[in-house]
Amino acid sequence: MYAGGDKSALAYERSACPMDYFAKLRAANTTKTEEFPGLVVLSNRSDVEGALRDWETFTSAFGGINGQDEPLIPLNVDPPEHVKYRRLLDPYFAPKKMASLQPAVDKHTNDLIDQFIDKGACDFSEDVAVPLPCSTFLSLFGLPLSEFDQFIKWKDYLLRAEAFTSSSEEADVLRRQTAVEVCTLMATEAYARRAAPKDDLITYLVESEIDGRKLTDSEIVRTCLLFFTAGLDTVTVSLECIFAYLIAHPEARKMLAEEPGSEINLVEELLRSETPVQMVSREATHDLVLPNGESVKAGDKVMIAIASANLDPNGLEGADTIDVRRGDMRNFAFGGGPHRCLGSNLARMELRTVVRRWHDRIPEYSLAPGEKVIWNSSVLRGVDHLPLVWA
Amino acid sequence: MKLRIDAELCEGHGRCWDLLPELVDADDHGHGFLIDIHASVPPELEQKAREAVRACPERAVTIE
Ligand code: HEM
Ligand code: SF4
Repeated sequence: MYAGGDKSALAYERSACPMDYFAKLRAANTTKTEEFPGLVVLSNRSDVEGALRDWETFTSAFGGINGQDEPLIPLNVDPPEHVKYRRLLDPYFAPKKMASLQPAVDKHTNDLIDQFIDKGACDFSEDVAVPLPCSTFLSLFGLPLSEFDQFIKWKDYLLRAEAFTSSSEEADVLRRQTAVEVCTLMATEAYARRAAPKDDLITYLVESEIDGRKLTDSEIVRTCLLFFTAGLDTVTVSLECIFAYLIAHPEARKMLAEEPGSEINLVEELLRSETPVQMVSREATHDLVLPNGESVKAGDKVMIAIASANLDPNGLEGADTIDVRRGDMRNFAFGGGPHRCLGSNLARMELRTVVRRWHDRIPEYSLAPGEKVIWNSSVLRGVDHLPLVWA
Repeated sequence: MKLRIDAELCEGHGRCWDLLPELVDADDHGHGFLIDIHASVPPELEQKAREAVRACPERAVTIE
């Protein structure tokens, strides 16, 4: 058992410094942790790489997440069904398609910066990292900006219901209620698009076919609901991770300010070293013995610690150091195998656009005096408040 | 030196066409493909080709 204090202290320790936390975990050579009691945590590079690909042993088809009984699409579906959904969805999230959304994201970014640039201060998390992916989503879904507040509320209730309720039962009810509201909106929008198609994701889903038939309302809704869980907070925490790194690294800020284009490798390297989505979940389909001799039973919940694999130098020299100029470090920030993040091209475009625009307009900045960076303890590793100041 | 992309292994992480747009493009699914499967890697791109090999999370990019 890897121990080191109580469960939440460990979670904070992990978020504050994944590099040290996971190095200790790998050195202990065990899958049993106090932070995740009862779960199998895979942390070394080769176990993680193997498990991401081996969907037959480590299945994602274990029902739904975030208050859903039904599987979300494509997250909780395995091949061969999974392939059909991905074949349909991948083109919509392909690089060229995402490039066409870039001007909208660029505009959203500039609009956000306009609101505070003259004040010389902002809370990066609240003023940029949270709203940016939400506006992007509204563009993607073809929904009006008036839905913005609603979207923010929904994704908070879906992902952080605990913060708004006083018991886990209440949290569960809130998650379920929210899921119903999201599903109702999406079903209503789908209905409207059938009558009046637009150039947006919902129309694309409504018109798509799989196995020679149209997608059902249930399939469309379960896909859209997953986008909420998968595509908002992930981008938020990634931006927070990147800017938390930048305020502590003046030479990286200087590079960004002086060298347009340098954000590409920087984003990639920080996605790797900070791994905003620290782990992904699976379930074992049969009994097995891991290379370290520990056994896993059919039905065991498995956490694949991609954050740990990303930093494991065993198999990739230099993985335990950070160099924002290099872009060639194999990296599981977006997962791997069949469930590799559908939104990775969108996410990269959003992260690069914000980092570029920000440094064009605010090249030098720092953490507000007297403030500290306080990491949350979530598996989505972020900083809820990042107060910045500039001259 | 020749670059290879194993379409069976590729999951569309997009690192190859990002790092080596001179030789690799993305298809409609975001999967990398060689612009010219017969071409050798020109000497000035050999270093970048090695980087693309290292960066592919699925180990689908190789050089021979
Ligand atoms: C930097 C931001 C993001 C990170 C770090 C991230 C990370 C990940 C990871 C690690 C997975 C794998 C889950 C697993 O294996 O169980 C995943 C899956 C997924 N992501 Fe992202 N993601 C990001 C942004 C997005 C965005 C913007 C979208 C927009 C639609 C999105 C949609 C999805 C979907 C649909 C899946 C499920 C894919 C499947 O199961 O086939 N993600 N993401
Ligand atoms: S980097 Fe690898 S997985 Fe990604 S597109 Fe290129 S070949 Fe495919």
